[in-house]
Amino acid sequence: MADKKILEVEGLETSYDMIKALKGVSISALSGKLTCILGPNGAGKSTLLFTLAGILNSDQGKVIFDGEDITNQKTSDLVEKGLALVPENRLIFPHLTVKENLLAGAYSRLAKEREKVEQDISAIYARFPVLKERSSQLGGTMSGGEQQMLAVARALMSKPKLLLMDEPSVGLAPMIVNEIFSIIKQLNAEGISIVLVEQNASKALEIGDYFYLLDQGKQIFGGSREAILKENIIKKAYLGESAG
Amino acid sequence: MEYIQISIDGILYGSSYSLIALGFSLVFGVMRRINLAYGSSLLLGVAIALWVENKLNTSIIFFIPIVLFFCSLSNLYVERFCFAPHNTKAGVVVSMISSFAIWMQLDEISSQLLPDRTHSFPSLEISTFEFGGLFFRGDQILNIFIAFIISAVLFMAVYKTKYGIVLRAVSNSADTAKLMGCNTNLVNSLTFILAGILGGIAAFLVLSTESQVTPLFGFWCTVKGLVAMMIGGLGSLTGAFWGGLLLGLLEAHFSYQFGPVFREITTFSILLIVLIIRPGGLMGVNIYKDLKSRDERI
Repeated sequence: MADKKILEVEGLETSYDMIKALKGVSISALSGKLTCILGPNGAGKSTLLFTLAGILNSDQGKVIFDGEDITNQKTSDLVEKGLALVPENRLIFPHLTVKENLLAGAYSRLAKEREKVEQDISAIYARFPVLKERSSQLGGTMSGGEQQMLAVARALMSKPKLLLMDEPSVGLAPMIVNEIFSIIKQLNAEGISIVLVEQNASKALEIGDYFYLLDQGKQIFGGSREAILKENIIKKAYLGESAG
Repeated sequence: MEYIQISIDGILYGSSYSLIALGFSLVFGVMRRINLAYGSSLLLGVAIALWVENKLNTSIIFFIPIVLFFCSLSNLYVERFCFAPHNTKAGVVVSMISSFAIWMQLDEISSQLLPDRTHSFPSLEISTFEFGGLFFRGDQILNIFIAFIISAVLFMAVYKTKYGIVLRAVSNSADTAKLMGCNTNLVNSLTFILAGILGGIAAFLVLSTESQVTPLFGFWCTVKGLVAMMIGGLGSLTGAFWGGLLLGLLEAHFSYQFGPVFREITTFSILLIVLIIRPGGLMGVNIYKDLKSRDERI
């Protein structure tokens, strides 16, 4: 059970018009583990997540999620299958209240299981008390850290099996980053599989189980934490001297 | 007494503006797009409905749903061909220009369907009544009542129901709403269909008080509805209601004072003044003061 692959990506290629952003990426994520995708700017990390979440279509390759081929399926279908993306820069709905943001996150089951959704919101409030305090405040009026919490909570409302997170630390103060990362660690400990894309490599190294390094659309490393710490060149090139 | 009577006439006439402005507000609120073809799409719906009615010779009870059906159909046509292909941020200007193109196209089709220029329109035949020495047009009282009900129902639907949350989520950020699994394409189409139904009700009520329809009706709708919405507040449903009444009131007084030719001059002067003093409309946000809410939608 421990080694069950929740996500398998084989030779994925995605391009923006003429420019190829992914040139054959093959990664896999184990069920219940925290998989980190690292790499410098423009490496194709976000493109990879967008392709996995069905926002971009791939030209080549295969994506298998929970034993099912989901290559180039629509985002709405993927959300129902249990794949949720927490986008970079949070992208909460600024003019919706915190509670309405959470309801929007439960979009796919809003019509069918309204009561269950309310229960889930209570559970979210128990986990993030600050969101309960702010439940009728407009999302756009909250601080960056609170918005990130809301973005994570909103993604959780779709009951994901796999959570894709794009740069959760972007634009946040170091203290808040620590808080967000402990939330991620906590969610993972509760059994949610996570694929985390992060530029802040040293932070990711603290909590991740498996690591992939992308550079210019290609994956140049994949392995456990021990393995990545041993690879000196990789460390120098992508993580900076201070990392590890 | 005379001024009270003029005020009443003006406000009652303004209810037609309110009805049209609500449809504009709905589309602008959800999609952040100005649909210049709105009036023409209503004219086309009405023209087709009249043509069908001519063939079938139905009673007014059946005529109303026919009007609503064709108005929503023509709105869907506008959405599919003019807004759906340009649904990115870069498409704001393109979609407005193509809505202008569709406006011309629909107006042309409508005038082919209404060849004799002025065409009679079934009237509800509600009589005018007198109360305390003042005269009230019964059909216009009905208009103002229905405009009020529609704006209240829409307001409740948008702010208190789960469909409203989806609508506002799409309006906040269509891309993020997609991430939540929302079919934004469908939401946009449904918004236009809803605007078509609203516009159909508006068109029917307005035309039945006039008992006639001319090929200029589309232009009239677009101009008056747009101005009423801008005065009331961009994308604000309650603003659209009050904006229409205010426009009607001011038009009535100015055209009484200075003659009927001043009606249109008044309309656009008010628009200019409002745009200078409060660019977001009277009940909308002050878009310069409050940059953060610049993107405020319904």
